[in-house]
Amino acid sequence: MAFLPDLSVDIGGLKIKNPVITASGTFGYGNELTPFYDPSLLGAIIVKGLSLKPIPGNPPPRIAETPCGLLNAIGLANIGIKAFIEERLPSLVKIKAPIITNIYGHNIKEYAEIAKRIEKVDRIAAIEINISCPNVEEGGMAFGTDPDTAAKVTNQVVKNTTKPVIVKLTPNVTDITIIAKAVESAGAQAISVTNTIMGMAVDVTTRRPKLTNIIGGLSGPAIKPIALYLVHKVVANVRIPVIGLGGIMDYHDALEFLLVGARAIQVGTANLINPKAAMEIVNGLTDFCMREKIGNINEIIGSLKTK
Amino acid sequence: MNKMLEEVVSIEFNRQIGKDTCLLGFRSASLASLAKPGQFLMIHSGRETKDPLLRRPFSIHRIQDRNKLMMLYRIVGKGTSLLSALKENDPISVIGPLGNGFALPRPNEPSLVMAGGMGIAPLFFLTQVLKRVQKHKIKMFLGFPTSQEAVLIDQLKDLNIDLSLTTEDGSLGIKGLVTDLLDQYLGQELTNKPVIYACGPTPMLKKIAQKAIKSRLRCYVSLEGYMACGLGLCQGCAVKAANNKGKPYYYVCQDGPVFSAEMIDWEVM
Repeated sequence: MAFLPDLSVDIGGLKIKNPVITASGTFGYGNELTPFYDPSLLGAIIVKGLSLKPIPGNPPPRIAETPCGLLNAIGLANIGIKAFIEERLPSLVKIKAPIITNIYGHNIKEYAEIAKRIEKVDRIAAIEINISCPNVEEGGMAFGTDPDTAAKVTNQVVKNTTKPVIVKLTPNVTDITIIAKAVESAGAQAISVTNTIMGMAVDVTTRRPKLTNIIGGLSGPAIKPIALYLVHKVVANVRIPVIGLGGIMDYHDALEFLLVGARAIQVGTANLINPKAAMEIVNGLTDFCMREKIGNINEIIGSLKTK
Repeated sequence: MNKMLEEVVSIEFNRQIGKDTCLLGFRSASLASLAKPGQFLMIHSGRETKDPLLRRPFSIHRIQDRNKLMMLYRIVGKGTSLLSALKENDPISVIGPLGNGFALPRPNEPSLVMAGGMGIAPLFFLTQVLKRVQKHKIKMFLGFPTSQEAVLIDQLKDLNIDLSLTTEDGSLGIKGLVTDLLDQYLGQELTNKPVIYACGPTPMLKKIAQKAIKSRLRCYVSLEGYMACGLGLCQGCAVKAANNKGKPYYYVCQDGPVFSAEMIDWEVM
């Protein structure tokens, strides 16, 4: 008997029709993959991290492949919030999925200013704060490794917007739960776990690092067990919803994150390899629920059996 | 936005034609009808495998019978090594055609095609098209490290173009580099200025581009970049732009892979 399972979830006030979201930096400015499928099918779209002013990004090479992983040091190259709102957002009119902007500031004031600008834009459904980029000299991860600073940034954004605020955490800390609790107290409505893990790779012939930036952030299947563990840990320590990401390639991976308690998941590196990855995960979750006779995806979320 | 598609195709042949050099062919009428010289494909030899993780870019080397596409590649790492082991009827996942492609010459403008090693891959397709749709005078400078790496010489001769060969050790053709031939060529009195098309190692392209700019010749180079997606998502394949007023970086996958020589900041290349 065919029935359509209810895949909708609520992320801190943002209701989305399924738990599949694209991760910042892997889905361009929202419509690059429309030749392959209609992104309206997704729960939400998070676009490339945006800053107050355009950022040129790091000198190449910016990427290197490692076993089951992708090391990147893009350096938050982006066109800036103004150009995004004026030039790119209008072209997303046909996409019916909520648009979430990932934002990045060089200082706390800049985060507040970007939040103010986004507040006026109805088309943007929520804000994800990036305090976890390992590839920029100032700000970025520095904000995400200190609980007080992380809380201050969160607080400034929350104060300047009525939209749901998601904080994206870095795994590059001793205890992620301290930061998670700090941003929860500061008013975050949800938390994304996790950004890339710092890493490097060396070319033994030239004796040079494979990235001009020397260090980069590792993503892809190589980091999935770590990401899963961090989600598990954060879920146990906060009341707000957690969005899980890190190496999710297919619906099976997505289910693992949902089982440990992620309310939704983000698909990142997989988009770069299989342009239809996020859509296939939505379909895979639907089929799985039908097969297992699960009427509502919330029955799966956090249902990990540990005894 | 370019029309592009993803297809799983069956390999028709995949054979070694020179030292560490392979030629792979498959059929796809839809990809063949869209493809222009200079465009590329992102290929994964087994999407289920996670190592290697990423697709690799390959320029479209040749189109035959309107539905057969060929890729010429060198075995350089794990990805190309696994690719070279694939046999007839094995599936590969292909995304394309991607990138801008070469701008064609103006009427009566002769073409100078300069290829170094695997740089011949996209330039063969270009030469095919130039020869077919435009009755141009085509001169080609083609260089390889040694005669062992030299491939496609007979096929190029069949195209009936003015071909000059170089090898670094002199084991075939003229001893030296293709850029040496350019020096001689530019030393002559040129009545009809050619448009240059170049693809090959970066030092070669740098030399050609700088000479072309100095001699005020139109010059198009096809660049390679470390690329994760080929689709403009990751912004990994950055190349420094010469004019900082506009974009500080171009992206090889979207703005290229073919660039007009003066667009690139060759000092940092």
